[in-house]
Amino acid sequence: MDKSTVAELNSQHDLYLQEIEGIDDYWGPTFRAIFDSNEEVEFKKKLGERIKHHDKDIERLCNVYYQGFIESVRELLEVRSQANKLNSQVVTLDKQVHDAAQGITKSGSDLLQARKVQSNIAVVIAQLNLCLPVFTTYSKLQKQIAEKRYYPALKTLEELEHLHLPHVANYRFSRQLQENIPKYREKIEAASMSDLKDFLENIRKFSPKIGEVAMRHTSEQLASDPTVVGRKKKRNAPQPPGQFSDEDRSAQELIDFSPIYRGLHIAHVLSRSSTFETYYRAERTKQVRLVLQPPTNMHESEESYRSYIHAVLGFFILEDHVLNTGKGLITRAFLDEMWSMALSKIVTALQTNSSYCTDATLILRIKDLIMLFCTTLRNYGYSVKPLWELVRELRDHYTEVLMQRWVQVFRKILAEEDFQPIKINNQEELNEMLLSFPWEGDLPDNIVYPYSFPFSSMVPKIYREVKEFIYACVKFSEDLNLSQVEVDEMIRKSMNLLLTRTFNGCLSSTFRSPHVNLQEIIQIIVDTGYLEEANVYLDQFISNITGEESRGVTSALAHGQSALFSVSREDAVRQICEKLKQKLNEFFELENYDWLLVEPNGHASSYISDIIAFLQTTFHSFTNIPLEAAQIACKSACDHIAESLFAMLMNEEIKQLSMGALNQLNLDLLQCELFAASEPVQGLQEGSLLSYFEYLREILDLFISWDWPTYFHDYAQETSKYKKVNPDVAIVLLEKLREGDKKTMFTVLKKSERDKKKLLETVLKQLRQLAQIPPGK
Amino acid sequence: MAKTYDYLFKLLLIGDSGVGKTCILFRFSEDAFNTTFISTIGIDFKIRTIDLDGKKIKLQIWDTAGQERFRTITTAYYRGAMGIMLVYDITNEKSFENIKNWIRNIEENASADVEKMLLGNKCELEEKRQVSKERGEQLAIEYGIKFIETSAKASIRVEEAFYTLARDIKAKMEKKLVSKLYTPRGGHQLKASELQKKPTSWLSRCTIL
Ligand SMILES: Nc1nc2c(ncn2[C@@H]2O[C@H](COP(=O)(O)OP(=O)(O)OP(=O)(O)O)[C@@H](O)[C@H]2O)c(=O)[nH]1
Ligand SMILES: [Mg+2]
Repeated sequence: MDKSTVAELNSQHDLYLQEIEGIDDYWGPTFRAIFDSNEEVEFKKKLGERIKHHDKDIERLCNVYYQGFIESVRELLEVRSQANKLNSQVVTLDKQVHDAAQGITKSGSDLLQARKVQSNIAVVIAQLNLCLPVFTTYSKLQKQIAEKRYYPALKTLEELEHLHLPHVANYRFSRQLQENIPKYREKIEAASMSDLKDFLENIRKFSPKIGEVAMRHTSEQLASDPTVVGRKKKRNAPQPPGQFSDEDRSAQELIDFSPIYRGLHIAHVLSRSSTFETYYRAERTKQVRLVLQPPTNMHESEESYRSYIHAVLGFFILEDHVLNTGKGLITRAFLDEMWSMALSKIVTALQTNSSYCTDATLILRIKDLIMLFCTTLRNYGYSVKPLWELVRELRDHYTEVLMQRWVQVFRKILAEEDFQPIKINNQEELNEMLLSFPWEGDLPDNIVYPYSFPFSSMVPKIYREVKEFIYACVKFSEDLNLSQVEVDEMIRKSMNLLLTRTFNGCLSSTFRSPHVNLQEIIQIIVDTGYLEEANVYLDQFISNITGEESRGVTSALAHGQSALFSVSREDAVRQICEKLKQKLNEFFELENYDWLLVEPNGHASSYISDIIAFLQTTFHSFTNIPLEAAQIACKSACDHIAESLFAMLMNEEIKQLSMGALNQLNLDLLQCELFAASEPVQGLQEGSLLSYFEYLREILDLFISWDWPTYFHDYAQETSKYKKVNPDVAIVLLEKLREGDKKTMFTVLKKSERDKKKLLETVLKQLRQLAQIPPGK
Repeated sequence: MAKTYDYLFKLLLIGDSGVGKTCILFRFSEDAFNTTFISTIGIDFKIRTIDLDGKKIKLQIWDTAGQERFRTITTAYYRGAMGIMLVYDITNEKSFENIKNWIRNIEENASADVEKMLLGNKCELEEKRQVSKERGEQLAIEYGIKFIETSAKASIRVEEAFYTLARDIKAKMEKKLVSKLYTPRGGHQLKASELQKKPTSWLSRCTIL
């Protein structure tokens, strides 16, 4: 070993020491390193050294710190007592604290509880706030339904459904409500339908009233309309204003239409509009059918017509209102169709019923009703043309009824009439007479009472009645808005009809009465003459009423009028002839010819003389018979006499005839010819009466003068003296003469008689030949 | 033609207007009555056949107008009349007084042997009577004619009046016939109807060839 090696060894050891000292455990590697290097002896020594070193340090240190240790123990003791003291202090304190804390803890837990409750409450409030609208809405809904305010109810329902319920969806009641909503809807729909039904029922009851009010309004409106007043003749004074009652409100105000509107809204909301519409229309269609059904005996009273018309009118006014305000509940087309159907039914109903009516006043009332009906309907925009037509027809019917009424009037007048000239006994009666009839004749300056007018009392009576008739006619055209010309024409036409048909008919049946005598018939003819003259005044009378210019006597119509009574007059004249003929026939029944008379006594038969005297007296006495009538009557009398005489001659029952009888007939014929030539009636053409006897005259002349050669010679010539004598007639007479001869000539067998007989046979033969030839050759 | 009657009597009704002549005739011919007064104009007649003792008698009864203005016309009929009824109205004094005038009229215009009869009409109007029945009877006696009170309205003795007059005419005629038969001048038998015809033949222009 060298010194350096030794040194190096030392340092190595130091390192080990450091490592051991530096590390608490894990000394293994170090010890290994030591044992590896076989230095354990050395190092033991070295370590020993080191331990001794540290011992020494520890000893020194202990020495140093012992004093301090004692000190410290003392101090520690002291601390112990202090600590005890402190400890007791702390225990008390702790006890105190403990007591105090116990109250606090209790309050604390109370507080906690309260807080919890509070928060719970808040939650509940919040939830309730959510529910509350549901309930208020729900109760609102209930209330609205109860009040039948279905539309708001529906709105509320909707609000409930969409706004409120979703917020409370998780509640059970919400679900329940939700489930109930459709039920409510149904209920509302049903209720609104039932409201509609009630409404329909209601308006059905009410619509006549509405019609009535509407009609009244129209008539008031017409009354105050200056353009109409003139025609109405101010009959109905305008109503004093300001006294409109509750009833005078317009139709729409009278009826509460809200069920419809509500129902409509509701239906709309429920989207059931079409159901609602269909229902409404169907119901109304049913109703209109009922309304249009006229009461069974409507024709019996005005009241029935009135209520019928009111009902119809009311119905359509309502419908019109519904059309205008119902937002398409009904359409124009629907209403139009319904109206046109209704119109034809109305027309038919009114037509049928009014045609039964025989009361003119009632017809007038019906007309007024229809007119008012029309005007009112037109105000509502309904077309009424067929109704106008109906009014026209009604007018004809009215005239017809008037005619019938006047037939009674005329019949009564005629039945009560004595057909005697009117006798006036004093001035008063005269004035009255002149007022009642336009008398054109002159009155003497000094009237001696009793004074006779030429006509009978029928004339002023009929005149007055015709005027009454005209008034009655005019009544119909009032308010008809016809032109004056139309009214004028209508009246004139009716009057003409009245006189030509009705009056003439009555007169004719008067003639037919077997009790009417000649005198009365003549008076009737006279009367018709005066009535005809009075026509001018009737004409004027009409013009005054209608304001149309008088047609004047020359116009065509008046011309027709002047012949108004011609039918009656002809009839009357015919009746005169008839009556005369009856009388003549009575005379002829008294005839007592001896057809085998040998020789006449030179006188006309007494019945012929009586006939002639009677005719003369008659034509002489009836100074008032119109000339024309007298002429006709006289001609017809002559014709009848001639015919009767001829018929007697030809009578088959008379088989035998003597020349003497022919001579008697000749005498009688002469009487007749004298009469015919004596101008028993003025103004007849000369020979016109005689012409009726010509035929007989030729026959008698031929037979009495036995002028057969001339007869045969001139036969069929215009100039023939006997041109009228027919061979057949001559044969009949000759045969009768032959038979007559047989009786009287028995004993007379003179040659002249035998020749005569031969001649007769020859003539007969020749006549028979002539008779073979057809007439006109 | 076969005759429908045996005799034809022409009767005449005269008297003031309004006494009821037409009504009496109407009652007799038609058995009816009419209250309305239609004064007759001129003349009218009715025929009724009656039966007397088995004879058919035709009565042609002329009804005259009583009004003064027809006097001339009506008097022309007096001549042919075989019987005349003078009618007054028992309720009208004047019509009774006028009977004298009517009688005078008859005397002037009718044939002398005409049968006459006095009728007091409207006898049912007892309360209005102005002429007593006795006065009527008295007057009739004065003129030697028959008298009957009648009522056309109540149909009292109208038939009787006409039958009486007809019977009297018939009796008178038959008496005349008989007397004619037995007078030497009446050479041949006359038919009743021929009585009316007075034979005057100068007018006749008939000749038998
Ligand atoms: N109470 C009553 N009235 C009668 C009677 N007979 C006639 N009269 C009425 O008297 C009125 C006149 O009757 P007529 O028969 O027309 O008189 P008349 O005599 O023909 O008159 P003239 O034709 O003018 O001459 C009429 O109103 C009749 O009704 C009667 O017996 N009793
Ligand atoms: Mg008379």
